[in-house]
Amino acid sequence: MSGPNDIPAHALERLKGLRREGHPGGIFTSDFSVNEFLLVRKAGFEPVGLCVGSCIYHVGIQYGNWSKNEEMTVLSQAMYHARELAMARMREEAQDMGADGVVGVRLTVKRLEWDSNVLEFVAIGTGVVHAAGHAAFKGPKGAPFTSDLSGQDFWVLLQAGYRPLEMVMGSCVYHVAHRGFLKTLGQVGQNVELTNFSQALYDAREIAMERMQHEAIAAEAEGVVGVILHEGSHNWQPHIIEFFAVGTAVIPIAAELAPSVIPDPQLVLSVNG
Amino acid sequence: MAWFSKGPKDREAAERQRAAATAARERLDKWEAALARGGLPDFVQARLSEAAERRAPWLSTMTAAELLLVRSHGARPLATVFGTCWFQFGASWTRGHAAGWRTALERLVEEARACGANAVVDVKLRTSAAEADSMDYSLVGTAIRFDKLPPSPDPVVATTPALEFVRLLEAGVVPTGIAVGAHYEWLTDNSYSGLAGNVFTGNQPLNTLGQFWEGVRRRAHAELRLDAARQGTGVLAHTHFGQILKREVEKQPDQYLGRHIVVGTVVHTRAGDRVPHGIEPVVDMVDEASPLIRTKAGGGMNYMNDEEEGAI
Repeated sequence: MSGPNDIPAHALERLKGLRREGHPGGIFTSDFSVNEFLLVRKAGFEPVGLCVGSCIYHVGIQYGNWSKNEEMTVLSQAMYHARELAMARMREEAQDMGADGVVGVRLTVKRLEWDSNVLEFVAIGTGVVHAAGHAAFKGPKGAPFTSDLSGQDFWVLLQAGYRPLEMVMGSCVYHVAHRGFLKTLGQVGQNVELTNFSQALYDAREIAMERMQHEAIAAEAEGVVGVILHEGSHNWQPHIIEFFAVGTAVIPIAAELAPSVIPDPQLVLSVNG
Repeated sequence: MAWFSKGPKDREAAERQRAAATAARERLDKWEAALARGGLPDFVQARLSEAAERRAPWLSTMTAAELLLVRSHGARPLATVFGTCWFQFGASWTRGHAAGWRTALERLVEEARACGANAVVDVKLRTSAAEADSMDYSLVGTAIRFDKLPPSPDPVVATTPALEFVRLLEAGVVPTGIAVGAHYEWLTDNSYSGLAGNVFTGNQPLNTLGQFWEGVRRRAHAELRLDAARQGTGVLAHTHFGQILKREVEKQPDQYLGRHIVVGTVVHTRAGDRVPHGIEPVVDMVDEASPLIRTKAGGGMNYMNDEEEGAI
């Protein structure tokens, strides 16, 4: 929607004002809770401002073949493209305010009331900078890192000797075949596995995982932490489901932190059960 | 009619589409063959063995805190693994649910084995697509390997997250698997006459019905114990679902159906083992419900909203 050049002047002013350096009166905005704020600061970072990216997307129409297990490629691409646009816009805003990264990113999909084919994708998180100006915390290609970890988890991740690179995702919209009438009739009253349904779930989920792994490889990550696998249907035909995998790609902080200085976690037993 | 004839670009696009469709069909055929022989398709095998040899980034449901375990205990995440079985319970709801979970479990272990794991942690039971007479039974978890241990031919399955898993290990408790117990029974004899013909009867226990229901639960628990005995010495954090339904039959006494299913985490432990951890008061900085006071394990079970009647 807006490249760096067509952000309105007053917005650019606001973004500049968010950085403390050279702007003693600058203030930060964030949706951190008090605990999150304290732990992000403890991790050596300062919040700069809230970063938002949004994308309203018209999802093309595609009908599943009644009796066939298949990926709905038009829908898959739509969901993926729209999320990517929202994320890219959020990253752009983060870059403009000079953030090293965005913490606590929430990526949501909302259906708009007046048109069932239009979905709104929003990515929102808090841009942060390293307080001592350490430049090594940026994400891939010098862009701000993005992470769906909360402020607390961000602190813990750094304690564990890892830093976030990028939120990675994989999505697959899939049509699960209906059963043929004769087949259904033949199985009435039996306890049997419906293998073509099982297969559909496996295939869809495998495609989503593969795509997520490709993104992780592209980001040159060591691994992906906090993987969540959503299954959802955005008011599509029955039998159409989306598998959506999302997580934060991480890499060890080899240069900054030797494994020996990382504290062993102390395991505690809770008595307030 | 130049716009009508297909240029080389269109032909290329059509070719690509055909190739994609063929590839998709081949994948499905491979899934079908793999599920039939109880194995994995070659492309999944390839992805998981890459994960085993650490040639690809690991994908893990572990939290950031649990990554500390990589350093402190050498528990490395390998891959997110999955087991699913869509099962129709036309003949018996109860037996079907037990069979669905067991098959899903076997398949989860199959994937874990393929990536050279010792254990699968953080296993969640999920059902997303319930239909009138069938449901999918899915298990998702993170396969891990302890640096000091070789890959196991029989990885243990734990519903506990990685942190709790390690905490249990330190206390000498080994989570070993998931056990399922299920039982259903009809009460059809008319010895339960309880209130029949006497609406004004006062307080009284309905003994026949009570005993019947107690029996159903006990049989389910007995089956759970049997299943658990094959894997360990005890069951923790079990979640259960039970229902008692009434069916009216013309000119006959009412019939009752009782069904009960229990799923729990099996552990291996010796009685009287000491707990090595000191206990410390801590300030919890988590905003949502704190994991320190979270009591419910094995989330994602949607038995709570299963209101349908009918099948047994």
